[in-house]
Amino acid sequence: MEKYTVVIIGGGATGLGILRDLAMRGVKALLVEKKDLVNGASSRYHGLLHSGGRYVVKDRDAAKECITENQIMRRIGKSCVEPCGGMFTRLDIDDEDYEEQWVKGCNETGIDITPITIDEAINLEPRLNRKRLRSVYLIPDAAIDGFRMAWQLVDSAKRYGGEFRTYTEFVGLDQVNGELHGVMVRNQFTGEIYEIGCDIAVNAAGGWAGFVGERAGLKIGVQPDKGTLIAFNQRIVSHVVNRLHKSSDGDIFVPHGSITILGTSSISIPNPEDTSTSREEVESLIKIGEQTFENLRDFRILRAFAGARPLYIPEGGELGRNASRGFAILDHETDGLKGFFTIVGGKFTTFRLMAEKICDQICAKLDVQEPCRTAEVPIVEEVPQAEKERAKKFFPSYGVELAAERLGVEKFRRVVARMESDPESRELVCECENITRAEVEEIAKESTTYSVDDLRRRTRIGMGTCQGNFCTFRGTAVLNEMCEQSKDKDTLTHMRKFLQGRWKGIRPVLIGRTLREMQIKRAIYELSMNVTGGEPK
Amino acid sequence: MIDSDVIVIGGGLAGLMAACVAVRRKEKVTVLTFGSGSLPLASGAIDFYNSKFPETAIKNLPVGHPYYRIGLPAIKDSINFLKDVTARANLPYTGDLSFQIPIVTAVGTLKYSTLIPESMDASLLGDVKKIFVVGIRGIKDFYPRMLVDNLKKYFSNADFNPVTFDLNLLGGRDINCMDAAQMIADNDELFINELKGLNATPEDAIIIPPVLGTTDNSTRVTVKTQLHAALIETTCLPPAPTGVRLQRALTKYLEDNGARIYKNANVFGGVVEENRITGVVTKNSVREKFYPARKFILATGGFYGGGIVMREFDKPHEPIFDLPVKYIVGEENWSNPKLFADKPQGFAATGIFVDSKMRPIDSDGQPLFENLHVIGANIGGKDFIHEKSLGGIAISSAYKAATI
Repeated sequence: MEKYTVVIIGGGATGLGILRDLAMRGVKALLVEKKDLVNGASSRYHGLLHSGGRYVVKDRDAAKECITENQIMRRIGKSCVEPCGGMFTRLDIDDEDYEEQWVKGCNETGIDITPITIDEAINLEPRLNRKRLRSVYLIPDAAIDGFRMAWQLVDSAKRYGGEFRTYTEFVGLDQVNGELHGVMVRNQFTGEIYEIGCDIAVNAAGGWAGFVGERAGLKIGVQPDKGTLIAFNQRIVSHVVNRLHKSSDGDIFVPHGSITILGTSSISIPNPEDTSTSREEVESLIKIGEQTFENLRDFRILRAFAGARPLYIPEGGELGRNASRGFAILDHETDGLKGFFTIVGGKFTTFRLMAEKICDQICAKLDVQEPCRTAEVPIVEEVPQAEKERAKKFFPSYGVELAAERLGVEKFRRVVARMESDPESRELVCECENITRAEVEEIAKESTTYSVDDLRRRTRIGMGTCQGNFCTFRGTAVLNEMCEQSKDKDTLTHMRKFLQGRWKGIRPVLIGRTLREMQIKRAIYELSMNVTGGEPK
Repeated sequence: MIDSDVIVIGGGLAGLMAACVAVRRKEKVTVLTFGSGSLPLASGAIDFYNSKFPETAIKNLPVGHPYYRIGLPAIKDSINFLKDVTARANLPYTGDLSFQIPIVTAVGTLKYSTLIPESMDASLLGDVKKIFVVGIRGIKDFYPRMLVDNLKKYFSNADFNPVTFDLNLLGGRDINCMDAAQMIADNDELFINELKGLNATPEDAIIIPPVLGTTDNSTRVTVKTQLHAALIETTCLPPAPTGVRLQRALTKYLEDNGARIYKNANVFGGVVEENRITGVVTKNSVREKFYPARKFILATGGFYGGGIVMREFDKPHEPIFDLPVKYIVGEENWSNPKLFADKPQGFAATGIFVDSKMRPIDSDGQPLFENLHVIGANIGGKDFIHEKSLGGIAISSAYKAATI
């Protein structure tokens, strides 16, 4: 039987943070994930690197953690963070007293805020609704890319010897008299169940932590809490724009590259797999968003999506907006199960801190003396400017910057080498996000790529303006040519599955120009390509 | 002031077809277009109905179906008319309503259609020994391996030979099928040499991306005379040379016969006198212009063409004449949970209801205007993509409206 010191269950930001942290301390660790990495709340969120401003009134500790981690992340995760800055805006309908408490909270927490005039605010964000605007503060919010962060954490962990397996589901523990021997996992493709030996197992399954707990025979107070978000096809804002009021639905806009994300709602749901969104939720978000940006409906919506926050609710604790956004580490030795830990709650911004805290506890158990270094060592090495310049011979120059940030130096070099030797691979597979065939080929041949959707999470194909109109065809073809382990070799199935995934997010926002894009998609795939297949009836 | 018998608004398949029919009737025709029209997006194959026997299926459609309103004689006439116009433009089309013809898609599926360019006819694939699939280095959007993998499922006994030609297309910007088609039309020598090198016999077939020129059949004729095997073009991602050729053939017919085509003519409203339209007004940043006519044909398309728009849920509208738009109410009916479902998508049925003269009707079924006709994807009631009737509805409704 194979043996690791620590097995981590869950491939979200927290699990990956733990993997990297342990690997850096020399602990032999393996992460298992039942689907692909970051398919849960770690990618299904705003992409907001909180300054802490949102929590200063209700939860000072969370706010302090946020501002500290915000500063760390800007240093170690440079290529994942867009330091766009943020803004808190109070409208005529918002409580003035809250503003006073908020300013006091920021000052006492050490969050640097700067009041600006309405004119200055309009100058920075011309689309703001001037008529309603009452006061505005600048704050060090930023945008952060959850997908990119995940792959870079993996690359970093791998360099230190960390390992991971996707499409590998945790099904139970092997324990004897309360002592952990290993974890039982299932290969999602073959159905095979096998054991991986370990001294310690960590439940970092986020919204699924309750399910993992059940399979380990434990009851864990985690409440999946659904947040629905809308992605707009334009950069409506150039700062993160928050409403300055008691935290509520639909009050944050975050710019990401060429898009903007508006969210979110907060609904307790029984099953974290429920990432459905409805027209009603979308309408309600737009209605609130229109208070800050009156012309919001003029912008094309790309899609709606939802994720489940893993709120930690200790017995008798409050749900929804009133639940703490803090995190908790549970050592189940107290429940009579030695070697099993759970980490729940928290938020993306603080994932590194969460990992550090639990790894400190794990290392203490293992008698490992190495200190945590994740706050100092950059996650990936940046691509040197000279190499970027050289790559501009083959790339559109805007694409060079994007690829360098996405890939980190090692993969970037491989992609550029591919383009150098094979001119045909210089063509763009995805014009929306400037992704070359070389990059898609390089990712398609990685051992953890199985589907077009996996390609999407690693490269962003299908996530741009056209939502897969062109790149579904091209991405599938490249997968077919490059990906040996793609279990499902049928390209038609790959295409249908991928387009269905895009469709899920488009359905609730099927209005305006999205209708037009949808008809293009149908004309291409149903009429020109006949991917629905079959003979006429 | 420009005097027209007929004004056609829209330069997609329906609009161009209606204009061609009107021109044939010796009418003075003006076409107002805005944007590229639907044809570059399409394969150039014109589907009539998803059935092995489209004619029988269409005959049996219920009273409310747009085809029922158009009527079988006009549908058949439209097919003959299109074949005639394309033949004159040296872009021969083949097929009729009694059967379906297979074409090969870029994915490698077979697709069945009714009226297709001769260059796409794949009927003989079942009888050939060897099938060459030709990729061209540098062309994006054509992947022989994927095509072969899928096509094998239909022709498991054939001997598939994927090959790649180097036509010196690499080294510049990305090359799509349109670019390659233009390059080969300009100089076909290298392409012909490579094709000859396959030594294909009359018992073989050669499948190629649609690169045989961008206007008509002349490149294909030149290439074919030097080969023994059949040459079959596939569909491709837009812009599709096969669709562009049809657009150019119809446009050429209009130009040769004195029709006026105004591009970038953004029609924003009509002028109404009682139950007639007297003219339409175009608008750009500098001026407004009035176009009077005796008869108007609206062919601005559905959601794709912009003929129907919907900024907010449950509020679709037709932007030029503000015609009543019918649509399916309710989120659960608006779309199917599955993108590729075995039933129509509700949203795609959004559109204008017409009488048997293709005139928009009110809720009592009465025509709203004497001289306004609505054709193609503007027409509502059915999901034409699901029925695979988009092209057929376009040309037959156009024919009907233009011959009223």
